[in-house]
Amino acid sequence: MRIVVCLKQIIDPELPASQFRIDAESKRQQPNGHPLVVSPYDENALELALKLKEQTGGHVAVLSVGQSSAVSALRKGLAMGADEAALISDPALEGSDAFGIATALAQGIQKLGHADLVLCGCESGDWADRTVGPIVAETLKIPCVTFVARVERQDRGVRVQRVVEEGYEVWEVTPPVLLTILSDETNIPRYPKVKDIMAASRRPIPPWSVSDLGLDASSVGKAVKRIEIQELTVPTRESRCELLEGDAQEQVATLITRLRERKVI
Amino acid sequence: MDFGLTQQQQLFQEMVREFAEKEVAPRAAEVDEEACFPAETVRMMGKLGLMGVTIPEAYGGAGADTICYAIAVEEISRACASTGVIMSINNSLVCDSIHTFGAEEQKRRLLIPLARGEKLGCYCLSEPDAGSDAANLQLTARAEGNHFLLNGVKNFITNGQEANIAIVFATVDRQLKHKGISAFLVEKGTPGFGVLKVEKKLGIRGTSCCQLLFENCRVPRENLLGGIGEGFNIAMASLDGGRIGIAAQAVGIARAAYEAALGYAKGRVQFGQPIASFQAIQFMLADMATTIDAARLLAYRAAILRDQGIQYGLEASMAKLYASEVAMCVTTKAIQIYGGYGYITDYPVQRYFRDAKVTEIYEGTSEIQRLVIAGHLVG
Repeated sequence: MRIVVCLKQIIDPELPASQFRIDAESKRQQPNGHPLVVSPYDENALELALKLKEQTGGHVAVLSVGQSSAVSALRKGLAMGADEAALISDPALEGSDAFGIATALAQGIQKLGHADLVLCGCESGDWADRTVGPIVAETLKIPCVTFVARVERQDRGVRVQRVVEEGYEVWEVTPPVLLTILSDETNIPRYPKVKDIMAASRRPIPPWSVSDLGLDASSVGKAVKRIEIQELTVPTRESRCELLEGDAQEQVATLITRLRERKVI
Repeated sequence: MDFGLTQQQQLFQEMVREFAEKEVAPRAAEVDEEACFPAETVRMMGKLGLMGVTIPEAYGGAGADTICYAIAVEEISRACASTGVIMSINNSLVCDSIHTFGAEEQKRRLLIPLARGEKLGCYCLSEPDAGSDAANLQLTARAEGNHFLLNGVKNFITNGQEANIAIVFATVDRQLKHKGISAFLVEKGTPGFGVLKVEKKLGIRGTSCCQLLFENCRVPRENLLGGIGEGFNIAMASLDGGRIGIAAQAVGIARAAYEAALGYAKGRVQFGQPIASFQAIQFMLADMATTIDAARLLAYRAAILRDQGIQYGLEASMAKLYASEVAMCVTTKAIQIYGGYGYITDYPVQRYFRDAKVTEIYEGTSEIQRLVIAGHLVG
């Protein structure tokens, strides 16, 4: 089974809110030298892929669209156990929306060769818009199952557990298929071993340009984006403290009034 | 000159930090309070390749550089200083000594399981009457056929209770002073080798600190490390590498204390404002951050020299001296910033303070480091 896992490099989502800054012009988070990590659900997807490979054999490739720094995300993928890595990096992709990124990923997946499974995190750790995976599936004209927690290999395909409100659905799917992956106790990302980190660092990962993918630079990027972010702000949090006067009965009465005023009750 | 880590080192740091935060830190308070050896954590570190970081893959290690080793000790010690020194000793004093001075057969038989973390090592130099004065060893080794008979006592041996393999320094002739010292690889279970006493300690309570007894302990000749009379040189060379590890451990402890103090200072409100807004606290935090950074840079410099094959004994001593005193100073300030809360065991800064003290003592006291440094300066 050949599996492609899409990895996105993001600014560490564990960063304290006090250090979160927005670039007013690009309406994006300012990198400011903050640590870059692999988006958490993408790591769950990679772990799931590696477990499937260990159980039944196969080949796992990791693919990313990003700047040259995204090489480190791919190297982490290699260190965890992926067989192959590819980076799509081109100034033409700057300012792309989900459609532009998905277009590049779909072309990259095809360039990697046949894929039985394409795995994406169910959402990215920065924007969380949950759109790239389904658009990649649509572009590749393959089925898509979202919010998948578990995958089991079967004779003719895979049996997947899809999490829904108050339970889960079980689907049987014939590859090729794209799955968006949730975190689950069965796909907790492994720590890469030191010797595998050393080996991964020696592996060349040549960047692919959009022309390497057979794409016209005008088909991706800022000029053709369909989603325009109008405003992006950091929520301001205010805390106030009011000491209620009177005896217990009066305090309770005032408390109920305050909660009703704020529509809490 | 480039002060940044390579991509490889960054990836390594990310892995160790994540491992330390998720697997090591949550157990640190219990390891300290119960004085229990973190066996499961050590097993996991072995699987990851953290017990033989700089040892080549051919001998069971991970083949990384000394900067990676310093990064690993710092990150693990930031989470738990006990776990940090367990890995530091196994890596530098034990694995590096066998890798540098051992025969090929010894490397195959003993280094591979040590570097893989399947076995644990300890380093036995100190004695009741020979600590800083390492040339004055009383433990004797007498040749008898194809064996040596070891007799004497070793003191303050970290990992002494759990170790499977001990590097033991003994004299074949006390009259020869340091030229009579030889090193032996003694395996657990060797008749005549046992733990006499496990000490109760102020800090790094998750490691055993043992008095070991050697009573007509028969060590086969093939377990002689290096040649007869080469033990003192082996001890001094391995301590140079070990001091990079202790410097990194001290940086890790100091960083833990500083980060805790910074977080506390931002959240603790007095006189209607966070205490971090007071200049008295800010100055303390500024000094803490600056000295920690300087200590780390000293440790990294020694590590780079080691990787370049350049003499690094002076720089390792400077790093160990400075970093350990920084750790003591920073952890003291951290308790001061916490005030009364810093003095009670509900908060971790008191543990950092207790753990920091030993870095000024083991693998050469601050006074010995100053002697070493001055020796390099004035000849």
